[in-house]
Amino acid sequence: MCNCENTYIPILMKVEKILIDNPDRSLRTYDLSFVNEEDRKKFTYMPGQFCEFSILGKGESPFGIASSPTEEGILKFTVSRTGSVTNEIHYLQEGDIVGIRGPMGNWYPLEKLKGQDVVIIGGGFAFTTLRSMIVYMLENRDDYGKITVIYGARNPDLFIYKDELKEWDKRDDVILHLTVDKPIKGWNKLCGFVPTITKDVKPDPTSWCIVCGPPIMIKFTLPVLLEIGFAHDKIYTSLERRMKCGIGKCGRCGIGSKYVCIDGPVFSYEELKNIPDAF
Amino acid sequence: MVKIKKTGLNEFIEFLINDYDVYSPADVGKKIAYKKIHSAFEIRHDITNTHLSPKDIFFPQSEVLFQYSEDGMKVPEKNEKPIAVWGMRNCDTSSLLMLNKVFGDAHQMPDKDMYKDPYWKMKYDNCLIFNQACNEPLSTCFCNWFDGNPFAKKGADVFVVDTGDHFILEGISDKGKVFLTEYKTGEKVTKDDEEKIAELKKTAESYLPDVVNTKPLFAKMNKIWDEPIWEELSAKCINCGACTFVCPTCHCFDVSDEGKGKKGKRIRLWDSCMFQLFTREASGHNPRGLSTQRVRQRIMHKYNYFMDNYEQYLCTGCGRCVQVCPVNLDIREVIKQVLDYKLVKNEDK
Repeated sequence: MCNCENTYIPILMKVEKILIDNPDRSLRTYDLSFVNEEDRKKFTYMPGQFCEFSILGKGESPFGIASSPTEEGILKFTVSRTGSVTNEIHYLQEGDIVGIRGPMGNWYPLEKLKGQDVVIIGGGFAFTTLRSMIVYMLENRDDYGKITVIYGARNPDLFIYKDELKEWDKRDDVILHLTVDKPIKGWNKLCGFVPTITKDVKPDPTSWCIVCGPPIMIKFTLPVLLEIGFAHDKIYTSLERRMKCGIGKCGRCGIGSKYVCIDGPVFSYEELKNIPDAF
Repeated sequence: MVKIKKTGLNEFIEFLINDYDVYSPADVGKKIAYKKIHSAFEIRHDITNTHLSPKDIFFPQSEVLFQYSEDGMKVPEKNEKPIAVWGMRNCDTSSLLMLNKVFGDAHQMPDKDMYKDPYWKMKYDNCLIFNQACNEPLSTCFCNWFDGNPFAKKGADVFVVDTGDHFILEGISDKGKVFLTEYKTGEKVTKDDEEKIAELKKTAESYLPDVVNTKPLFAKMNKIWDEPIWEELSAKCINCGACTFVCPTCHCFDVSDEGKGKKGKRIRLWDSCMFQLFTREASGHNPRGLSTQRVRQRIMHKYNYFMDNYEQYLCTGCGRCVQVCPVNLDIREVIKQVLDYKLVKNEDK
């Protein structure tokens, strides 16, 4: 082999903790620790980056890192049971060894956000890297202005990180708007799709906005933000595509001349508006 | 420059085999492709373009990334000898320079080693390319549309011309020059030989089609993404992917695991943007679910996206896709149609 690093070899991680996020058990959150101390030291990342989660014999899938760099020693991933790799991930038990490759891609513009008000809009289980971002900002709370979070799920069961949402709701330095699609017994927070709620909340357009969720949510939330008057270069989103290599070679995550894996996954609306069919 | 009698080629190849794993056009089943050879008698000289491109030497159709077992992961060992390729035409030599931008230089991410592909680099970085002049370009060749020429030397370590009874070898890169000085048994090149080469070049160029200026393609493609032209261009494509497999510059791949229990290997395999599954996500969402979208992706990647990222087109005009397409979707016609296309939606852009 050449002397350069071999990016295709996963590093070994141990499953420390598994949290089943919802009653139908389709969403689980994994806390992984580094098997080798060397890997732990080398692995530095920022909120918004992702990893290829590897199950030897089954393959790899990309997931956003849900932990924050401030949570040292662990990496957190939330996985929805959807395909063959995620199925296998759901069979994992605490103590099992898995592989990851990463960190990959770029991250949310945390430097630019310093001293600014930030609006975070998320939907469903795409809330992973947004959690990373929120935990990071709360850990460095004085660096950022007002933090507003709008988070929607189909029903109350489908929110992830429910305990943390409760904690954030109690804080007076985070404004949290939780919404579900349809009214449901026992739910006393907001009802309605994310774009509608965004319109109602009407966040201050001088702030910066990070949107992450299913493509359909992004598609209908962006026009609302533009209508409110957000600047194109202050709206950021994170995209997802099917991926294999994660290093801009295998060709499948291309959107226009960009690759989601190396040019993204975080893009500003300014960048995306000229790329057709990006979301 | 060194002159070798064709009847003495084997001596030269044996000299080469001492230090290199030598590949050349050879019979592979009923086709001609690049194959590791052990003597000059395996070389097929009577071809212009091999059926399959030489990308397979450096980026094999399937390649083990690592093996895994309970003892851990093991990367295949590096070959002892570097690779030398005899008989490569310049369309293919140029294609390797393009692929090296993707796999080797990691041009987009120059400061990060993690974006360099170790499997490519271990084969390509020390290779020696004997680029052979193309005396009789085929009717499907159009290298001259992309600054190519049958006698081009770009990317060659040694430039070779077949003058009938002899091969004339000219060192181009430092590596090539050094190698030729080490080979002492060659004859001297005469003025007659040089005249012969000039004559052969002229004849070869006469086989090429009229030049189409492809420079405006990039700008035109910037405007046609959502134009109706794609439905027309893609109408007959059956998404078989043959074009992408024979293409010397297509580099899309899949990574998959083969094994049972705790033992197996992770392999990468050529894949194709022509296949529906290529981009289909586990959720069922598919950003390129339609044939039209996939044909557009392939054409745009070659003549627009790659230019955006690497300042050149991802096509050398080798014509293999023209040869193999089962529905005769001729990429030369596609290029012409795009250039001639009158914008319907985006006139003002």
